[in-house]
Amino acid sequence: MFEDYFRQYALLIIFAAAAVTVPIGMLTMSYLAQFIKVRPSRPTAVKESAYEGGMPPFSSRPARFNFRYYYYALLFVVFDVETVFLFPWAVKYGVMSQQFGFAALGAVFIFLIVVTVGYAYAWRKQALEWVTNDDRS
Amino acid sequence: MTAHDYWVLSPAIAMALLALVTVSVDLVTRSMAKVSTVAFLGLSAPLILTLNLWFGWFGDPATAREATGVADLGSALFGTVETDRFALFFDFLLLTVTAGTILASAKYIASERMKDYGGEFVSLVLLSVTGMIVLVSATELITIYVALELTALPVVALAAIHRSKQGVESGTKFFVLSAISSAILLYGFAYIYGFTGSTNLAVIMERLTVLPNDAGVPFGSYAVLLAVIMIVAGFGFKMAVVPWQMWVPDVYQGAPTPVVAFLSVASKAAAFAVIMRIMYVAFGDPALMQDWSGLFAILAAVTMTLGNTLALSQSNIKRLLGYSTIAQAGYILVGVASVPANQVGATFAGAGPQGVMYYLAGYAFTNLAVFFAVIAITSRTNDDSIEGLNGLLKRSPLLAGVLVFGLLSLLGMPPTVGFMAKVVVFGSAINANLTWLAVVGVVNTVIAAYYYLRVIRAIVFEDAEDETKFSADKPVLVAAGVAAIGAGVFGLAPFLLLEFAEQALSILPAIVTGL
Repeated sequence: MFEDYFRQYALLIIFAAAAVTVPIGMLTMSYLAQFIKVRPSRPTAVKESAYEGGMPPFSSRPARFNFRYYYYALLFVVFDVETVFLFPWAVKYGVMSQQFGFAALGAVFIFLIVVTVGYAYAWRKQALEWVTNDDRS
Repeated sequence: MTAHDYWVLSPAIAMALLALVTVSVDLVTRSMAKVSTVAFLGLSAPLILTLNLWFGWFGDPATAREATGVADLGSALFGTVETDRFALFFDFLLLTVTAGTILASAKYIASERMKDYGGEFVSLVLLSVTGMIVLVSATELITIYVALELTALPVVALAAIHRSKQGVESGTKFFVLSAISSAILLYGFAYIYGFTGSTNLAVIMERLTVLPNDAGVPFGSYAVLLAVIMIVAGFGFKMAVVPWQMWVPDVYQGAPTPVVAFLSVASKAAAFAVIMRIMYVAFGDPALMQDWSGLFAILAAVTMTLGNTLALSQSNIKRLLGYSTIAQAGYILVGVASVPANQVGATFAGAGPQGVMYYLAGYAFTNLAVFFAVIAITSRTNDDSIEGLNGLLKRSPLLAGVLVFGLLSLLGMPPTVGFMAKVVVFGSAINANLTWLAVVGVVNTVIAAYYYLRVIRAIVFEDAEDETKFSADKPVLVAAGVAAIGAGVFGLAPFLLLEFAEQALSILPAIVTGL
């Protein structure tokens, strides 16, 4: 019994060893390849600059971004979770409607009303406006 | 969910919908007067549904259970929520407190600094009450936890609703400590689940009596002992019991006064309700009762003494009331500690839980009267030090009267409800062979007299620098007056509430079977 138990750890160790050796091996091979002229190393200023979607980079520092993004992140999470809830409901609706009847439909509508009020709230409170009244004044 | 589940949960659902309606009214009309009106009148919906569940107007589940004797007719959602009379008693209490809070904050949310957040204010209060309504009827640990979070999170936002330094400080303190206490509570729940294999309170009780006990160990096992201590610690934060009281004075001083009024009464009542339900349903075995009774007795003694002693040196009325609520929590804990199992020939008449429910209801009216009077006064004088109350009797006799009456009731002067509540609670302590605890309570009442009477002295005998007369805004005056009248009526006729509480307790299953 103990042998079986430790054999499971042996699998784990083999997996960990593979996980370490494969990337190190690839990097080492790549390094060794430059000595037989398969991978010549000719650095230039352009090559060493930051990659920015193929365009010439504007700046090298970490860019500042508008704090307002967090509104969008929050709203995204809310509506994403809404979708996640709707999927299992839609898949199992046939079973639920047989068991609970109209209540199966009603429950999800209550949920949707709650989310919609949240959406109306965000809209009305200008969370969706990029330029708000605070900026204009 | 079946139609039956909706029925059992109807007060909580109505409350949640009311919160949504309130915030929608704010979005559409932008009128704070309309928001307050809709919220206040809308409270009649959960009230009617609660009355219906109590009296069975439309053939309700709780009454059907009494008639048929089928145990799970009153429970919903696979036995996680049960709207029994114990829960309904607290529903009534919470609805009264909410109505008072909304009335008293009507002027406050229409003020210049609040009018952009007024809808949120009312809506968050209602959401927190939704959590409390679920909390007092939850019969399962995970439901209790979720309801507790729903109760606490809106209050965090409410405490920090002013973007002032003090407001943010009080909100942050409340949030961090609330999160820590929830973590401790969950750890306790995890131990209970690990030990008994169930999160349902009634099943926990069954398993605890069956599982093997270690002789001489409290609760029959160190795991359960640890779990009970953690659960009490977690709820100790909500009940503002020493040693988990540090947040109270800071939050009370920093948060807006209507929020403090709500927090000091509603959260406390809900926390006491749920701790009583957990203790009597999950740990309601007479042998276990003795063990946790001792734990609560020590907490009660420490809480009363420390709360009253620290209140002596306060100069800010809101901080003073903060320490006063800590001391009051101590008195209520005396009732929790006075279990019927300690009695000779135990019956429920005159035992602790009834006293706790009476005390909580009386304390709600009293404390609301005091806080509403303070709201009305400080909104005019902008001074929340005790000196700011000097000569109030001449400046605003009506408010001074309400405040003095409320403070006398907190102190426990006859014929107020505070006096009768102390009589009932201390009497139950003596019945439960906890005479020493009753003595500590009485000594504490004398200590408390010093600081309550100091405020009354400032109001009645001191001379004010500014003698201009003022009167309060109508809604807050009505709320304070109704609360004060309630405190008087229930003090003169305690049987009204005591019978109500007895009926509510008769439905708790463990109390009947455990004796």
